[in-house]
Amino acid sequence: MSSRRSRSRQSSGASRISDDQIADLVSRLQQLIPEIRNRRSDKVSASKVLQETCNYIRSLHREVDDLSDRLSELLESTDSDSAQAAIIRSLLM
Amino acid sequence: MCNSTMLKQEFLKKWIKGLHIYNNLNKCVTISDRKKAIKLSADVAIASTRKAATHWSKALMDDVVSRDGNNIILVQQILGGGQNAEKNNSGLITCSNRILRRSHNNIMACRKARRRVVPRCVKSSSIARKLVKNKTRVLKSLVPGGQKMDGHRLIKETLDYIVSLRVQVDVMRRLACAAERFHP
Repeated sequence: MSSRRSRSRQSSGASRISDDQIADLVSRLQQLIPEIRNRRSDKVSASKVLQETCNYIRSLHREVDDLSDRLSELLESTDSDSAQAAIIRSLLM
Repeated sequence: MCNSTMLKQEFLKKWIKGLHIYNNLNKCVTISDRKKAIKLSADVAIASTRKAATHWSKALMDDVVSRDGNNIILVQQILGGGQNAEKNNSGLITCSNRILRRSHNNIMACRKARRRVVPRCVKSSSIARKLVKNKTRVLKSLVPGGQKMDGHRLIKETLDYIVSLRVQVDVMRRLACAAERFHP
């Protein structure tokens, strides 16, 4: 076990993540991701952390996409002559 | 810890600027044209808040440029402007030229090898190790430029990327909500 750890420190080109790095990741992600925040850090497995991270990033990507959809539709409909619509239109275009 | 509000303001300014630039360069007629403009400008803006200090932001810019060569103008102008324009201008312009060269190299490299083959570690046969490896592979596909990062750098970049994505989503959401309030 210890030899694996020391090996992963030396091999900078390795794509494997060491246990220390996972512990670091857990503590920082706990502040960012709600799913992990509610659990105790020593009970969260590495693969669970990575899974939740991937899920979170995917959901953020989806949100950006949905928001882009919403905004593009809002511009379509802001062809009225109200002052607010003109402001928004000039703001976005 | 970076100032979140300043980051949001910087993103919003660059996003709006990017939209103006994009619209001067491209005709936006249909809804999907507009969506493309909005999303592209938002991506360039959030990547530029990192000023090429992270790999994901550089990879994202590469991707934008490789999609359409005309986008280099947008990227250069967003990278070149900003608060420290006088101090960092030459550095940023050089950076954007590097991006152009690198994106060209990337297009060539992509044609050769889609995915780098990770040598199998015979000793790590436990299921837990395999799971971590698989999840890591997925994470690499989600973070821009992730395929080229090793474990340690990938984690640092992931954290930075998540923070930036949250800024992007937050600002876009507020703008969408504000706009909808005028048109229920």
